[in-house]
Amino acid sequence: MQGKAWYKYLLSLPPMAYLLIFFAAPTFIMLFASFRYAGEYGGLAPWYLHEGGRLTLDLTLENWQRLLETDIYLRLFLRSIGYAVATTLLCMVMGYPLALMIARSGRKHRDLLLLLVILPFWSNFLVRIYAWMIIFSPAGALTRMINGALELLGMGSVTLMYSPTAMLVCLVYVHLPFMVLPLYANLEKHDLDLLDAAQDLGAGKWRRFWLITWPLSLPGITAGSILVFIPVLGMFAIPDLLGGTNGIMIGNVIKQQFMESRDWPFGSVLSMVLTVTAVAVVLLGSRLGARREGR
Amino acid sequence: MKSLLGLLLLLLATPVFAGEELHIFNWNDYMSEEVVAGFEKSCNCKVVQDYYSGTEEMMAKLQAGASGYDLVVPTQNAVQALIQQGFLEKLDKGALANIKNQDPGFLNRSYDPGNVYSLPYAYTTTLIGFNEQRLKEQGIEPTGWAVIFDPQILEKIKGKVTVMDDADELLGAALKYLGYSVNDVDEKHLREAQQVIMTAKPYWAAFNSSSYIKELTVGNIWVAHGYSSDMVQARNDAMDAKRDFSVNFILPKEGAVLALDNMVIPKKAKNKKLALQFIDFLMDGKNAAGLSNDVGAGNPNAAALPFINPELKQLAAIFPDQKVLATLETLEATSTKVRRLKNKLWTEIKLK
Repeated sequence: MQGKAWYKYLLSLPPMAYLLIFFAAPTFIMLFASFRYAGEYGGLAPWYLHEGGRLTLDLTLENWQRLLETDIYLRLFLRSIGYAVATTLLCMVMGYPLALMIARSGRKHRDLLLLLVILPFWSNFLVRIYAWMIIFSPAGALTRMINGALELLGMGSVTLMYSPTAMLVCLVYVHLPFMVLPLYANLEKHDLDLLDAAQDLGAGKWRRFWLITWPLSLPGITAGSILVFIPVLGMFAIPDLLGGTNGIMIGNVIKQQFMESRDWPFGSVLSMVLTVTAVAVVLLGSRLGARREGR
Repeated sequence: MKSLLGLLLLLLATPVFAGEELHIFNWNDYMSEEVVAGFEKSCNCKVVQDYYSGTEEMMAKLQAGASGYDLVVPTQNAVQALIQQGFLEKLDKGALANIKNQDPGFLNRSYDPGNVYSLPYAYTTTLIGFNEQRLKEQGIEPTGWAVIFDPQILEKIKGKVTVMDDADELLGAALKYLGYSVNDVDEKHLREAQQVIMTAKPYWAAFNSSSYIKELTVGNIWVAHGYSSDMVQARNDAMDAKRDFSVNFILPKEGAVLALDNMVIPKKAKNKKLALQFIDFLMDGKNAAGLSNDVGAGNPNAAALPFINPELKQLAAIFPDQKVLATLETLEATSTKVRRLKNKLWTEIKLK
């Protein structure tokens, strides 16, 4: 018995060490960096000074004060959260029926359908975004078709490229599989006898769904939502490429701090806020999930 | 794959070369292979090239302690920062016979007075590329920055304009439009420039530094703010694709940003003698011209002019005359405080 526990411990050691070294340690380094001064040529200034043979700390709160002295960073976070919420909801609305359909289809089709969901991962993320840029471009067939139809109806033309709509379409496109896969994993395990029993007791189609399938699938929805919400929150490539003049999210500003303005401490402040937001969402999600399950 | 192959070739080739190696760290697509081959032949040595795509990337790599580069090609504001960090070796002018070929207009600039540490390599300008036919149809004759900043003009080309996604470049252009220097750090003037950008922003399609060559060539975008060498490429691409329009470019009459790239030798360089030899080789008129002709960039070498492709040379935006040159300014290295201010203004611009 004891030998078995020892084995378990040994097996979990590598992933634990990995997370400690590559997640926990960098997070603390970043937290520390957020209290340091920026180096004149990028990087960080030394955090201690030699003064008359004595060491003095050279740390500051000014990076955190910068976060609060104007409302632009708050608005930036709110906008990013807005995009993340919208993407998550859209993925949920589109992903749920899809996952349910796959989970309830026959074994033979199921594997093929799952493969189709995963298929986009076979090509690089950026290549797929560039493909969307071509589709959305004013010279692209889609835009020309839409504008042709609008013209027939006597309406003005629309621009798809460089708009919040384009961003949202791409965000949903990229993250949809992350909603579908956990939902499928959940829905597939449901005991279908429950539905039969409900039918025997006289429950209609919708009633069966709302009283049985939906509550049972909540953990899957929670998992999918977390997997979609968090990457979208920190996304910078899609707003960069498709966002237009208003397309900016917190990820872009963090990237700017580390690259263009060579301001690592402030970049660390923004990253810390992003990390805390993400952790808060996960905790909230798992708590909600736990409460539902407990009921 | 290519780099793997290169590595393999390198391994195979090493025993053949009993001679020395010269390690170069340069902007990508910014070297003429023909010129390099010529040097390898003349010095019986091997040139090993490594590339970067952004000043920050280069600085970060050098700061992280990358040694082993004998020659680096940084842009002027990076030269200034590298000098201040004490990173560069003083150039031994005695070993550089071809220094006389350099155009004095590109020497003795504020980033390195007296060219103690650096010598100019090639240059680009940040200017305006445009779709000739579409602008003509709208009755717009671009001459200055107004074409990307003046709402009255922009009204006619709404959604067909992109500007660079780069705070220094765009604020610099707006400062020029207002009649200030691109290096103005007065907060009041920067605020004015920010206002100019905010007013024009609703008419722009996007901030774009990465794909404007393609957008111009396809005809999605009619006016783009970008680098001269890229605009040469867009113009050639549109011509090769036989579009029903042509891409052209102008240097705004108010002046613009000049990016002057330089050859420097790091203090940690292993083969300083060979690096000097290569600098001298590149300052030979024919070799300098070979570089310009291959990459489509301007050349600060007076002796190169007779050998430069006449088609390229007659482009005023690539080879500006002395009068135009006087309106061009190079970006200076900025302090942490100024960078923070600019970044705040930039974030506000993007958010509103």
